[in-house]
Amino acid sequence: MNAPLITIKGLSKAFPIRLGAFGDKAAVVRALDDFTATIIEGETLSLVGESGCGKSTTGFCILNLQRPSGGSIVYKGQELAQLDDDAMRPFRRDLQIVFQDPYSTLNPRMTIGEALSEPILFHKLATKSELPARLSRLLADVGLSDRFASRYPHELSGGQRQRVAIARALACEPRFIVCDEAISALDVSVQAQILNLLLDLQDKYKLTYLFIAHDLAVVRHISDRVGVMYLGRLAELAPSSDLFANPLHPYTRALLSAVPEPDPKSSRQRQRLQGEVPSPLNPPSGCRFHTRCPLAREKCKAEVPALREITPGHQVACHAVTSATTTQWEPVSA
Amino acid sequence: MTALLDIKSLTIDIARDNGPARVVDGIDLTVAEGESLGVVGESGCGKSLTMLSLMGLLPNKIKATGGSAHFAGRDLLRLSPKELRKVRGAEIGFIFQDPMTSLNPVMRIGDQIVEALVYQKAMAKPAAMQRAGELLELVGIPSPRDRLMAYPHELSGGMRQRVMIAIGLAGNPRLLIADEPTTALDVTIQAQIVDLVRELKDRLKMSVVWITHDLALIAGLADRIAVLYAGTVVEDAPVDVIFDRPSHPYTRGLLASLPTLAGKAMDRLPSIGGTPPEPGRRPPGCPFAPRCSLAMPACNDALPKLAPVPGSDPRHRVACFVTTEKGAA
Amino acid sequence: MSAVVEDKPNSLWRDAWRRLRRNKLAVAGLIIIAALVFVAAFGPWLTPYDFLSQDLDARNLAPSLAHPFGTDDLGRDVLSRLIYGARTAFLVAVIVTLVALLIGVVLGAIAGFYGGFFDKALMWVTDMTMSVPQLLLVVVINASLKQPITLWMEARYMETMNPIYRNSALIDFVLVFGSMALISWPPYARLVRAQVLSIRNRPYVTAARALGLTNRIILMRYVMPNAMGSLIVAVSAGLGTAMVLESAFSFLGIGVNPPTPSWGNMISDGLRVWTNYPHLLLAPAAVLAVVTVAFNFLGDGLNDALNPKGQK
Repeated sequence: MNAPLITIKGLSKAFPIRLGAFGDKAAVVRALDDFTATIIEGETLSLVGESGCGKSTTGFCILNLQRPSGGSIVYKGQELAQLDDDAMRPFRRDLQIVFQDPYSTLNPRMTIGEALSEPILFHKLATKSELPARLSRLLADVGLSDRFASRYPHELSGGQRQRVAIARALACEPRFIVCDEAISALDVSVQAQILNLLLDLQDKYKLTYLFIAHDLAVVRHISDRVGVMYLGRLAELAPSSDLFANPLHPYTRALLSAVPEPDPKSSRQRQRLQGEVPSPLNPPSGCRFHTRCPLAREKCKAEVPALREITPGHQVACHAVTSATTTQWEPVSA
Repeated sequence: MTALLDIKSLTIDIARDNGPARVVDGIDLTVAEGESLGVVGESGCGKSLTMLSLMGLLPNKIKATGGSAHFAGRDLLRLSPKELRKVRGAEIGFIFQDPMTSLNPVMRIGDQIVEALVYQKAMAKPAAMQRAGELLELVGIPSPRDRLMAYPHELSGGMRQRVMIAIGLAGNPRLLIADEPTTALDVTIQAQIVDLVRELKDRLKMSVVWITHDLALIAGLADRIAVLYAGTVVEDAPVDVIFDRPSHPYTRGLLASLPTLAGKAMDRLPSIGGTPPEPGRRPPGCPFAPRCSLAMPACNDALPKLAPVPGSDPRHRVACFVTTEKGAA
Repeated sequence: MSAVVEDKPNSLWRDAWRRLRRNKLAVAGLIIIAALVFVAAFGPWLTPYDFLSQDLDARNLAPSLAHPFGTDDLGRDVLSRLIYGARTAFLVAVIVTLVALLIGVVLGAIAGFYGGFFDKALMWVTDMTMSVPQLLLVVVINASLKQPITLWMEARYMETMNPIYRNSALIDFVLVFGSMALISWPPYARLVRAQVLSIRNRPYVTAARALGLTNRIILMRYVMPNAMGSLIVAVSAGLGTAMVLESAFSFLGIGVNPPTPSWGNMISDGLRVWTNYPHLLLAPAAVLAVVTVAFNFLGDGLNDALNPKGQK
């Protein structure tokens, strides 16, 4: 087992918002609540969940692109959670991000070459004379030829743009990359290419990934560990093989059951989750999943379940789950 | 079963400064009465434009330049805008991708449905409001009468898409065209909407055309699947044939590169190299040839036509020289 | 959109220039403005007559070969005065717009990017400035400042004997330009602020932050270049507006004083006699209209041309 790279404890993010016709009612959206996990050097840790579950907020808070409202993030013995922009700057080189939509994350008025040179020159990773060789190596790393350096983002296809966005993250020579829905916006035949590229780069440069996605089938193939999130809380965190073979949290099971399978025979009957994700503005008390949970009991409305380790490395936050093989309760018939 | 919709050699061009660029290049598609057809393809393959052209809703500078599209005996491409307007909504319903932007934010849900009913069915307002409530109930919206008074922003994404479906169904259409209606939704909601459309199709005896890029999603929904690539249909077959015995190298590549929950977890997914050609820059022969591992010299010379696959289901057709010459692999 | 195959290096400005040349209206606008600049620069050598020379025997003449736009009520050649007036118009437009732009861009960018108290304060000031009728403000400024400045300049002249302090046209120019710039900057500031506000939340700005770039670099290289398009349109429209504004002031008698010709005081003079001598109104009014429209065409063309997403 490798050493921990980033240790996250009790990370929270609340957005104050104003409601009412005159903005007179203040309210708080609890986008992320008490997130605790350790990211191991060299691994791919995936976070999955539906919109509003806080998975992207987690990534943004770890990189301090959003200021966490509580908790701690320790990298190289340094607390990052409350650093201001200037203090954070030296760490940005090591901690990078690839966004979902590569088109909107590239400055439309900069050529690819300019976009890639910027971080290299800013962080003084190469001199002006070394720059062309460095650019050409970066482009080669992501499978693009040198001539792309003179192009504008709009002249590229979606897959090529995402390769550029990856190259830009690599330009900083990082150790850790947050992939925030990095393949979601791409065409099916291109998704696999970009996934494979990310895996190749991980091997080559010993990168650690936090892979944020909503597509569980994708996550299963590339992750070492997977965290399932619901309404700002971690519901389950386990080694990938363990989680997909033996999902313990009722939400994880429902989520897996909702994933369409490319097989006309299997997918006609499935367990369906009723209703929709409640608003994070006014989340349910106790276990946030209790309003949709087939196992829900009185205890679930009152008490927030803590994340407990059931088998080594497999953590679940559910009152009903006590061992890896049995759930304590039977489903409530609706 | 007779064909309700019969599209023949449809071509669609985009006007560019340097001349027209072909986006849809001779598409043939049929939809039988009561059938659900999945139209699968990546962005730019022409799947959405094909359907928009039927409704006369193509954006500026994009025009259907050839072919025909017969719906219940009439060629939709040759109807006047006024005649088309009668078909739109009343005989062909449409659901769009983004329920956030397809609903008027300053109009109550009920009024938006009533508007469709008054226009398409010439119903009186009180009767239309009654019917609007029934429609919301039909699409599974809880306490439908109360929801009639709600504004779009008061509903969740999944509920809004249900409202869009209710509007699409307002005219009792014989054909419902759904253009990626679940792409913007979460997995659990997506599954609910898929179930709903499948159930409505059986209950209302409609035909459904479901446009999507998601092969896995369409597996549980369609009777037949047409795979589009760069403006042409490359394969057309019943759904189980597509998944069990795909013939076209593109279909096979797509299916192979699809990560699944079943089966062995793989370290690397098989992938198709390269990217689809841009409209106007398509090769003269088979558009997939530059990315195809099986390509022969002949593939670069002429565009293959859809032809039956030897030894397969009689409805299984593929546009590929390699498969049709050597027999189904 | 198309995947480009040719391999020559692209430059934003060269691409923009190529796209601009395609736009016939923009090219027409550019030619008219180039002509204006030429006439403004070389006016005194181009005029067929001295713009001040009066010929009382040839008053209010209709257009003829000798006087293509006729003569005015003092027998001065209208064409010569229009040519000389181009100099005033051009100076006014450029100086006023540049000053207003400088104030507006700096304040607007800072307010939009950093927000906070400075942003609120800026919005108060712009709201207040924009809520006062423009002409009234200028009249007040001129009325209250002209006297003290004139007195101060005379005092300076007595001390230094430097003839620059005796130049009353200079006072006119400083006062007119200054007060025009003072009422012209708030729209630029608001435009830049709105642009910056929307651009600073674009994903590519977040991406730049994630790279660790400083705020100054992000503002200069990521935010401002993308705010340029709408700013350029506003500036080209603003140049035309500044000319119209100067004409309005001259018309009211608080602008450039006679005998220095300006299109505004020519229109003002022409208006008094237009029933009898319509050419005296039509000539300056038409020139002003053509130039204003030319600026607008060029602005629209530049906006399209500077957008790299535009079709090739």
